[in-house]
Parts: sequence; structure tokens; C-alpha cells
Amino acid sequence: MHDFLHFPLHINPVFLFGLTLLLGLLGGEIAKLTRILPRISGYIAVGFLVGPNGFNIVTKTLLIDASFFVDIALGLILFDLGRHLDFNWLRHDRGLLPMAITESFLTFAAVFTVLFLFKLPWLPSALAATIAMATSPAVVLMVAHDISSEGPITRRTMILTSLNNLFALILFTILLPIAHIKSSTPQVISEHITYRLLGSVVLGLIMFMITINLSRLTGKNKDSQFVLFVGAIALSIGMAISLNLSTMLTLFTLGVVARNFDYKHKLTEVDFGWLARLFFVLLFVVTGVYLKLDGLWKFTWIVLIFLIVKILAKICGVFIFSATSRLTKQQALTLGVTLLPMAELAIGMSNRLVYFNPNFSYQLITIITAVVAVLYILGPIAVQLAFIKTGEAEKLSY
Amino acid sequence: MQCSLLLLKLERQKNCLIRTMDTLLPFKKSAPLTIGLELELQLVDLHHFNLVMEINDFLRRLSEISHTGTIKPEITQSMLEINSSVHLSYLSLLNEVEELRGILVEEADQTHIGICGGGAHPFQKWKEQRIFQTERFSSFSEQYGYLAQQFTVFGQHIHIGCANAEDSLYLCHAMARYLPQFIALSAASPFHQDVDTTFDCSRLTVISAFPLSGTPPWILSWQEFKTYYQKMLRLGVVKSMKDFYWDIRPKPEFGTIEIRICDTPLTISRAVDLVAYAQALARWLLEKRPTLCRDIYLTYLINRFRAARYGLEAILIDPIQQKNILLADDIVQTCNQLESQAINLGSQDALTRIYIMAVERKNDAAWLRKQYAELRSLNDVVRSQTEIWRYGEGSEKKCSH
Repeated sequence: MHDFLHFPLHINPVFLFGLTLLLGLLGGEIAKLTRILPRISGYIAVGFLVGPNGFNIVTKTLLIDASFFVDIALGLILFDLGRHLDFNWLRHDRGLLPMAITESFLTFAAVFTVLFLFKLPWLPSALAATIAMATSPAVVLMVAHDISSEGPITRRTMILTSLNNLFALILFTILLPIAHIKSSTPQVISEHITYRLLGSVVLGLIMFMITINLSRLTGKNKDSQFVLFVGAIALSIGMAISLNLSTMLTLFTLGVVARNFDYKHKLTEVDFGWLARLFFVLLFVVTGVYLKLDGLWKFTWIVLIFLIVKILAKICGVFIFSATSRLTKQQALTLGVTLLPMAELAIGMSNRLVYFNPNFSYQLITIITAVVAVLYILGPIAVQLAFIKTGEAEKLSY
Repeated sequence: MQCSLLLLKLERQKNCLIRTMDTLLPFKKSAPLTIGLELELQLVDLHHFNLVMEINDFLRRLSEISHTGTIKPEITQSMLEINSSVHLSYLSLLNEVEELRGILVEEADQTHIGICGGGAHPFQKWKEQRIFQTERFSSFSEQYGYLAQQFTVFGQHIHIGCANAEDSLYLCHAMARYLPQFIALSAASPFHQDVDTTFDCSRLTVISAFPLSGTPPWILSWQEFKTYYQKMLRLGVVKSMKDFYWDIRPKPEFGTIEIRICDTPLTISRAVDLVAYAQALARWLLEKRPTLCRDIYLTYLINRFRAARYGLEAILIDPIQQKNILLADDIVQTCNQLESQAINLGSQDALTRIYIMAVERKNDAAWLRKQYAELRSLNDVVRSQTEIWRYGEGSEKKCSH
């Protein structure tokens, strides 16, 4: 027997995929039983427990193996997020774009000011403030789906999330090369920014043109278009990685263009349904692994003030233009609360930050990861309660 | 939320009032042949074009705007009902309803939802529909179970003013002969629950499931009708006249008869044309007073079924003349009969359009099937419904980008 088996057994990516799904499922069902926690909380808890900060079952090497699945999951989410950005709505509701700009940049300004006042350098502070702007699309999409939340606030949550992620993605793509230790000359930096920004948008547009042309072959058949979209998303991710472009911005562009420039309505509304759920479970478990709460004990005051100003900025930003959008005060408050979660994209951005610049302020990374961890844990609960409060959720728990 | 609380309160007060009465409301005197219209409309999402649960917020937004007529909720949360005021001519009715349509479209644009006509949504799933919470609708839902959610279908009700209660009963039975015409002319629900039902009007099969649907009893005196109503009330069969889902019924509190058989057409103009047609027909019936014969009901249900199934191509059985007639030809004959009435009422244009529809045999169901044949997607069919509702006929050209 010893010729066939080698101990310890090698954990391959497929094994990891299956294990993550099953453990995630278990965590989700346990969370559901509490009738207060959303399923997501269970997925995240499982990730945290199996990760280096828990029982250390999933190591960093294994996480690299899982990155393929995470990339696909993020791709699906960003494409879906882009599809929520409908220019027609922005044209008709004059309060919506100002509301998104205000809540995003108020959050940026507030967080940046707090970090700067705590004597942190301006560039890392600006990057942290950028990360704070973006709401987690995966959390809002999944909570809304799980409790069948439908209505004006749910829809506004999606478009505001879409817009604040767009602003954050652009700003992050601009700031990141500046933080890059090697690309220090202004010319190199500006070339890098232009290449990544424009390149990602152009790649998104090219992928859209390929998709729309292929849709002539598939017709309106939903099953064929499902394969078409998944293929286009995977290809876009692969191309963006190969060309060193922003996968997030590329996929987001593809989604936005598919929503707004498909004039002849060649593309159908594909619901990623069960496929999205598989990847969402995986994404939440894997990102749960990255959660670190030590910043909460080490830099308690900065983390708490960071959290408070972010929450206040999001809610105030929505309130300022709520009258223009003709929202009631209760609607504005709940909408502000639904914009709080930070998760997969914030984690992705933080990881990218460390990857780009390993000497990046340890203090700041610890603070960011602590804030993300708190909002990753509390965000889904807050979003679920907010949707229930609006009366748009069909059921409390599935 | 505030809006639904207010509606709940109003509904409770109204129900208290009804409970204290064991008699029928007196038949309100109204100017004969005045007209009014109720339309049930669909609220849809502008991305996938399924129904959306937006009525609470949409009503709140509309309540902040002054408008004529009434806008109110219906049984499930993606339904909206608009009621016109009382009118003498179809043109003034058209103006009012078009104004209402403009307000609805503007408000819907701001909150990014679509509005459309049609008797049934082509692919909504009834089990996903949520009941609008008022005392009446909740009790309806409790009483009828899943039928309440299936009742997410969209109809047009036409009101014709009657000088007295006896006239209203006379018209209810005299009109029965012509109700299949209204079914076929308004039919706009060929698709239901994601399939082509092969019916022009699939909505009627949903309504037929209710035990109190059908036709009013053969009673021609108001005194006898009152006795009948009191009996039904005491037996606990109904709580008010609203519980009778008859195809046509007297509406004592308005002093009208209410034709409830029509699908909501795809356009305002078609909806108002049908009102004008009903008005001319009522005028002719009241003037000529053809003798009523109970035998009309021998073939009523089969004619009703055929009109729903085959639309303008249906073959009707005339039990009085004992012959078969093509429904479209029956409408053509009726239009010829009503010409002088339409001239007197100033509704010749509307009558001409009804005539052309019958001759060309093109109702809204045919238009919807044509759209599906071209677009190959029910989502896109609903998109075209929102466009034709907004821009009127010919919108497919205007909106083809």
C-alpha cells in the first residue's frame, strides 16, 4: 500500500474546493438556525476558523491554489455589479448620482482626515480611504437574494454600491502605482496609470463586442447565453491578468457596457443563480480566512474612529440628496446602513496593496484589516436588518 | 409604509360601515350614459421585465402629486389601479386618462420601474407574488389561499351611468349577449406563466376559479335583487357587493353598471375606445329595449370560453336566432348598428377603430404574439409592452433605436 499512498496526503485544489463548499454549507446552515444571522456570517466564520488565525487548516499555499475560484467569483460579482449601473436611471433621478458622489467622497474625506490626524502618511491614508469608499457587492447581492428583498431600497443599494465601487476602483488604480516603490518617476507612474485605467476599459469594451457578436449565434436562448457570459467573464479575467490590467475594472466595464450599450437587446438577463451561489460560498469562506482582528486590540481608537466616521459619512452622504431622490427619512437611513459592508473587494485591494509594496505601512494594513473584519462580520447582519426594516424582504430567514 | 397604514385605516372604517348594514346601498342616481374607467396595470422591473413589488413606494410618490382620478393598490404588490372621474364624452375621458398616464410614466421613470398594460404578465411566477396588506386583501388571501396570488391578472372595468336601478339590471342582462365581443376586443393575455396558452385571453380562466365569478342571477327587479343580496349576506356568502366577481354587475354606490370582463389593453386609446363602444351599445339597448330572454345564458359560458380561446376568430352560438356567427362579423354588424349612436355621442372615431380591429382581426393578443415571433424572448415582449403603453401604437418603430 505504501507505494500508492504518500503521507501526509497532498491537498489538491479540487479537494479544497469540495471541502470549502461543504464546510461553508455547514456554517451557513448553522447561522440560519440562529434566525438572526444571515448565511454569509456562517460562511465567513468557517473561513476564519479554518484559516491561519483559527485552526490553521488552510495555509497560505492552499489559498494560492484557491485563487482561481476566487477570481471567477469576483469576476461574476463585478460583472453583475456593472449591470446594475443603468445610465437611464441616473438621467431620470437627478439625486442619484450626486448621492453616490457625496456618500463616496464624504467617506473618503472623513477616513482620510482621521488617518491623517493620527499622523499616518498621506498616501497610505488615501489608499485606505479609497478602500473604505466601496460597499461589498457580494454581501448586498447575497443578503438581498437570501431574504428575497425586492423594492426601491434594494435597487438603490445596488446602484449606489455599483457607483461607489466604480469610484473606488478608479481612484485605487490611480493611487496604487504611486505607492509602488519601483515606479517612482512621475512619467512611469502616469504611464502605468493610463495603461491600467484605459487598458482595462478598452479590454472590457472589446470583450463586450466579442460577446454581442457571439450572441448572434446563440440567439436569445438563455442556456446558451449563460455559457456565453461565463465564458466571456473567464476570458476577460484571464486576458486582464495576462495583460497586467485591472481584472476588477475590466469586468465592471463589461457589465456596465452590457447594460447600457446593448441597443438592440441582443443580450438576455442571465441569472447566474446556482453557479453564483457556489462561488459566493467559496468566496466568503476564502475571504473569511484573511480576517484578522488583532488591529482591533492594537489600534483600538483609530479602528473605532475609522468605523464611526465611515458609518456617519455613508449615512450623511445618502441623507444630503435623499430629498432630491424623494426618499423618506427612514428610507435614507436604511439605505445608508446597507452601504456599510466591506468585504471581498476591500480584502482584494488590501492584498494587492501589500503585493505591490511589501513595505507598505504595517500599522495601516493592520488597521484596514481590522475595519474590514468588523464590517465583514457586522455588515451582513446590518444589511439584513435594514432590508427587513424597509419591508422589502419576503422572509426573515429563507 | 405610511401610505399602506392610511389605506389600512380607511379599509377598516369602510368594513365597519359595511358590517353594520344588512341591506344593499341605495342605487345612486347618476346621469345616464356617463362613463368611467378602471385600469389595472403592471409594475415591472426595467432590467429583466418581471413584475416588481414597488406599489408601496410608488403610491407614496404619487400621493405627493396632484392629479385627477384615483390611483390605488390592488391585491398583490406589483399591481396598480387607476380610476378615472365621471365623463360625458369619450374624448374628455381620453384626455384625463392620458394625463394620468403621463404622471405615472414620469414618476415611474424617476424611480426606474416600468408600467404596462396587458391582461397577464407573460412570465411572472404567481407563487412569488406578495399580497398588499390591507384588511380586505388579507381576508381575501386567507379565504382563497393560492388563488389570491394567482389573481395577479390585470383587467379593465367600464362604468356606464344608469338613471335608475331597474335600468342597471336590464343592461346587465342585455349586455350579456355582447360580452364575448368585449373579451375578444380587449384580449391581451396570450402568454401566462412562461407559456403561450393558445388563448387570446388567459386571464379569464384565472377569474373563473373563484366561486362567485360568472353572471348575475336572472333578476330584473331591484326589489328582488335587494332580497337576493340580503339572503347572500345573511348566509355569509358575501360581505358586500364587491365580493361578486361577476362579468358584469350593478354598482349601486356609483349608480352604474360595471363591465368587468375586459383585459387591460396595451394602450390607453384602446381602453377608451372600448368604453366608447360600451357607451354606444348601452345607449342603443336603452333606446331600442330589445326583449330579454333567459335563453341567452344557454350558450353564454361556451361563447365566453370561445372568445377567450380564439379571440376575434371565435364562432359564437346565438341561442335566440339559433345560428352560428363569427365573432369578428358579429362586431362588424354591431358597429353598423351603433353608427347613429356614436354620432350622437361624438365617438365615431372610436367606433371606426373598433370596426377596423374586427375587420383586420387584430387585437392586442395578436400584437403580442407577433412581438414574440420577432423578438423570441418574453422579457423583450414585456419591454415592448412598456413602450407601447408609453408611446402608443407605432412605438415599436420609435423605440427600435
